[in-house]
Amino acid sequence: MVRQKGEFQIRWRTDLPYKWAIGKLAVKYFEELKKRKIMGSKCPKCGKMYMPPRGVCADCFVEMTVNDMAELSRRGILEGFTVVNYPFVDPNTGAMRPFPYGYIICKLDGADTYLMHFCDETDHNKFKIGQRVEVVFCDELPKDHESYRPELKGDIYDIPFIKLLKDQEK
Amino acid sequence: MDHFEGINFSELWTGIDACGFYLKPIVKIATGGTTGSSLGICGYYNIASGIYDKVMVVGWEKLNEGGATTGIITAFDPVWERPSLAGALGPLALMANIYASKYGVERSMKAAADVVVKNRSNAANNEFAHLQMPNITTDFVMSSQMISYPLRLHDCCPQSEGACAVIYANENEAKKITDNPAWFKGVSTAHYYTFGTDEKMYNLPTATIASKKIYKKLGIKDPVKDLDVAEIYEPTSWAELAWCEALGFCDFGQYAKLLDDGVTQMSGELPVNPSGGVLSTNPIGATALVRFAEAAIQVMGRGGKRQVPDVEVAMGMGFGGSLWTELCILGKDPKPLR
Amino acid sequence: MSEDKKVFKGRINVPYKHTAGAYVEKFLTEIGKNRKIMGVKCPKCSKVIVPPKMICFECFEKMEEWVEVGNQGTVKGFTVITHKTDVMPLEPPFAYGIIRLDGADVDIVHIIKESDPKKLKAGMRVEASFYAKPRKRILDIEYFKPI
Repeated sequence: MVRQKGEFQIRWRTDLPYKWAIGKLAVKYFEELKKRKIMGSKCPKCGKMYMPPRGVCADCFVEMTVNDMAELSRRGILEGFTVVNYPFVDPNTGAMRPFPYGYIICKLDGADTYLMHFCDETDHNKFKIGQRVEVVFCDELPKDHESYRPELKGDIYDIPFIKLLKDQEK
Repeated sequence: MDHFEGINFSELWTGIDACGFYLKPIVKIATGGTTGSSLGICGYYNIASGIYDKVMVVGWEKLNEGGATTGIITAFDPVWERPSLAGALGPLALMANIYASKYGVERSMKAAADVVVKNRSNAANNEFAHLQMPNITTDFVMSSQMISYPLRLHDCCPQSEGACAVIYANENEAKKITDNPAWFKGVSTAHYYTFGTDEKMYNLPTATIASKKIYKKLGIKDPVKDLDVAEIYEPTSWAELAWCEALGFCDFGQYAKLLDDGVTQMSGELPVNPSGGVLSTNPIGATALVRFAEAAIQVMGRGGKRQVPDVEVAMGMGFGGSLWTELCILGKDPKPLR
Repeated sequence: MSEDKKVFKGRINVPYKHTAGAYVEKFLTEIGKNRKIMGVKCPKCSKVIVPPKMICFECFEKMEEWVEVGNQGTVKGFTVITHKTDVMPLEPPFAYGIIRLDGADVDIVHIIKESDPKKLKAGMRVEASFYAKPRKRILDIEYFKPI
């Protein structure tokens, strides 16, 4: 398995454009996101609230429509955390993804499923499982922040990361 | 697999050039990390159904060509998951972190290091294992670089290149090939999510569901007593803690004790990963098939230095980024287990 | 609902290092250094395979006899590409041909630098034109031009 030095390698890059159909519920999600609302979808049979919203409840195999969507809190509970500290090429851009970065799993209040996302904290000693977290919108950031945008556009960059709240902020 | 090497017609190479299956039936199967076990199970289906007499199953990977993390990201949802996903290790680190917070950080970290030492020491007995680190210690593991808290470098599997081929045959054909085949006793699969975060998943519920199904079918009451060896798919040291608990080898949070008691060591009651496991070798498309093949090798008594004495029943496990679990149980005796 | 809202536009952009093996190494090196197109001959069926492979796919025999095939060949079929997509080796219009190189027993598909369908026909002769600075890829044969 040891590779020889000077081995004949052909280097190339796959760089393909895609247009992924996101579905009616995700369209609604991004429309509402522009109004600063985070929407989940609730199974009409078992009542499970899904985030991200999607068209089918996996447990019941029952269809969910835009009428089953409801707003969730922008705050939630930290369920797990890590600090990604290794290099890799991000296939979304073809370039190295900047690291280290905080990466968390949390549950927004009102949701029954979890959310994995960036966190702006990169010291693993600063996280505490069970603490409160809050979704950050891009227009709330300082103007010189790399993820700052003056207004919400209804796309995934509207929520650049999730921040940790101090203990007293319940 | 397609996204790791950037080759979408890999079946032509494996099937025609490498295996000589010109004009013979070929099927390509790719299910992420479980590719090998999906292959292994489909090989069984092909024979058990009576459609074919003999089948060769091949799994392979060349992870040097594209990079595992990059390829794995492309497997996930482009809108919701890819932007922040850090391949498999990010979510596996989150799972380890949840496990540690539940069952004690210090204790889990030490147990995780013990898993690495056990598996890499076993790998020293396996000439096919990628990482050869016979003198590895827990201190060495626990002082290696933190790459995604709480995972350190040596808590993680390597990126390997390799392949595995297994011949399946029906009873008549098997007798012509060998006096001593391994017999399929049963297989079991479970998978149940849309997005990786629909559950916290740190304790791999699919492993519990799939193992309960197969134990019930085969009359296995206590896997530690009734199985003689297990080859499980542990991409990180912490995964072996959680997966073995989910497979019912002990109660949740108790695998550290099993390690302390030596139960899953080579000399223990249920050795886990005599081959060195995924922590020592991970050519992804082959890895889960290697688990099945190693289970067969143990049953056939062909393990050489890594052979566990007197193996009658062995289990192999596949796990993937899709959080599926696929299991097989193999036996030495063609008759039903009990 | 507008198209833009219904889709998420993204890319998959990944660099690869492909270990093509000794046969492709020799094939591309001969093109780059010596402007020669090499194939291999099956010891059993005697077919000459270009680009070379280690194993004859019909006979499952290892092929070790290297044979130079011509830089010229015969077009067996062609098409002219006029529709532009994001991922193409050249600006359309250009032609693709199925080409049987002189001395080979299999065909290769490659670019023909002639975009007028009236000037293309099956049976016509073409010749390889090599790229000035070899880059270790099949496009080191930049295109075939009609003779």
